[in-house]
Amino acid sequence: MKLKNSLLNQYLLIIFLAIIILPISFFLISILFYTQFSGTEEPNKYQNGIDLESMWQAEAQSLTGATDEQIAERLKQLQTEYSEATMYWVDETGQTKYKLPENATVPSSWSPSHTIDFMKKNRGSSVDPFTVVALIGEQKEEGFMVMQVPRSAMETTGNSLADKYNYWIMPSVAVVLTIFIFISWIFFSRIRKRLLRLRQAMSSPAENGIPDQISVFKKDEIGQLEIEFNEMIHQLESSRLREKEEETLRRQLIANLSHDLRTPLTTIRGHAFSLKKEALSEKGKESLDLIDSKINYLGQLIENLLSYTLLTSGKYPYNPKKTDIVRLVKTSFAAWYPVFENRGFQMDVEFPEKTFRWDIDSQWMERILDNFFQNINRHAMEGKYIGVKVDVVQEQIIIADHGPGMSGKSAGKGAGIGLSIVSLMLKDMKLHWDIQTGETGTIIRISRKEQS
Amino acid sequence: MRRILYIEDDLEIGSWVKEDLEHRGFEIQWLKSGDGSEKIVANHDLVILDVMLPGLDGFTVGQRLKKEAPQIPILMLSARTAVDDKLQGLQFADDYLTKPFHPDELAARIEVLLRRSGLSLSNELHLGHIQVNLSENTFIDQRTGEEIILTGKQYQIFMHFLRHPNQILTKEQIYESVWGEPYLEGDKTLMVHIRYLREKIEINPGTPEIIETIRGIGYRVKQ
Repeated sequence: MKLKNSLLNQYLLIIFLAIIILPISFFLISILFYTQFSGTEEPNKYQNGIDLESMWQAEAQSLTGATDEQIAERLKQLQTEYSEATMYWVDETGQTKYKLPENATVPSSWSPSHTIDFMKKNRGSSVDPFTVVALIGEQKEEGFMVMQVPRSAMETTGNSLADKYNYWIMPSVAVVLTIFIFISWIFFSRIRKRLLRLRQAMSSPAENGIPDQISVFKKDEIGQLEIEFNEMIHQLESSRLREKEEETLRRQLIANLSHDLRTPLTTIRGHAFSLKKEALSEKGKESLDLIDSKINYLGQLIENLLSYTLLTSGKYPYNPKKTDIVRLVKTSFAAWYPVFENRGFQMDVEFPEKTFRWDIDSQWMERILDNFFQNINRHAMEGKYIGVKVDVVQEQIIIADHGPGMSGKSAGKGAGIGLSIVSLMLKDMKLHWDIQTGETGTIIRISRKEQS
Repeated sequence: MRRILYIEDDLEIGSWVKEDLEHRGFEIQWLKSGDGSEKIVANHDLVILDVMLPGLDGFTVGQRLKKEAPQIPILMLSARTAVDDKLQGLQFADDYLTKPFHPDELAARIEVLLRRSGLSLSNELHLGHIQVNLSENTFIDQRTGEEIILTGKQYQIFMHFLRHPNQILTKEQIYESVWGEPYLEGDKTLMVHIRYLREKIEINPGTPEIIETIRGIGYRVKQ
């Protein structure tokens, strides 16, 4: 996998660099440091004791046979060059002839014992001040000259550099570490940002309820996740589309099925009707009436079956509105009134002036009421009674009959698909229904759910 | 002769309906599809239209016919019962009847539609002692031969009853179609008008025979 296509490899690279960069950074900083400072600073002329000593010996040699004035003159010159050093000259008689600086504490005369003591005291590599004694002259009998340099002046340039280096190295390493942390932070914050973008895209669906696709900029692991996400959205959309097509197909099928079943029924009725006009026995006429009523029944059954299929799959159009219940029930019953009137029913209706409203689909409610009235017409003939009442106080619809009850026997009894539809529709409209049925009649109450 | 344009592709149903309606005294022109119906629609008094047709479906044909001849009533005759279809049909059609229909019902509905457009078989109607002449809009008391003069609202209410024969009409329905505005709870205007109307047309307004009261529901005029 290419580096730019793998977050893991990118991160490993950062870690690897971090591990490498710590030792390397020490090294680099050192190099940087030395090239930076050693070039600019003069090397300390006091730093090497051996150089000082050989220089002092050479000077003493060169003063062979020199007069006192010449020696003093030379010392003065040397003093200006090595200003840190203390210099003096002792002649062959042991008298201190000349000292620089003037106020240096030097005994004025040197006895042999004092001289030996001095030599003993000032031996070794750690004695401060660093002392060089050189005998003047080829024959070494013209006295001696002493140079003393304080150890503090003899610090090497390296030593002072090391101090500076020690001072700077920690901040420099800290800077390197900070840069590493910063790079890591950028690395992860970019990952985080992209993940957040993905989450945002997932949690904000478009109008159709499916999130929009997102644009993919990189091909790393998150990029692949985004590609997968888009693929998923695509599949979701196409399945939604398929579902819609299937639904249309299904509706079409149901509509066509209804048509194809009803057309022959109509033809049968047509022929039955034509037959009726022929000369027929009473029995033949009865048969034709039966055929007619069965055609009606079949037509309703087909209607119910199709409605039931639509209802259970949630595809039956439902448009709830605030509906005046008294008016709805009254209008609905008005259409049935002549039917019950012809059959000699006693009708007990109660529609008050005041009304109340339910948020329901009036077409559904009409269908429900039609179903109840139809049932009474078919199965409760014997009771010859129908009561339709709207109770404004308790907001309920009451339909009563004096038939043999729902468990009783009736000629036109079916599988109860009509009541299944009623039950489904009432449930969808959040209404409650309650049946009291017995051998002497049935009372149906429809009310709002929360009141039950 | 009342002429009906009948558009139906099913041959069996078509020939049966044609025969039955001709028996009842209508003149039927039967088309097997909607093609060419627009040209001849103007020569008819009513259109019976099937929904499932070859080529253009019944809804499209119906809408075109309505555009061509808005005054001619259209009765949709369909084997499709889905509520959607019914609503779509009634957007332009005057009535909607589903198969398997009963020929008597079809004939009755045709009568109602024709009467509504003023093309009833007989322009004369007898309600008890009242003779109604629909073409001249006159009401004559047959006992005396005198014309009964109705006020505007009384006339509208009475005509509404005549257009919906044998149908029980609630006071809300009558009020809203006559006054053209929503009925308000407890409004007594309609009752007052009906009382005056009854005083003019009933023999005994206390026990009305023409405008029947259906207790708790509304009114009905039987024909």
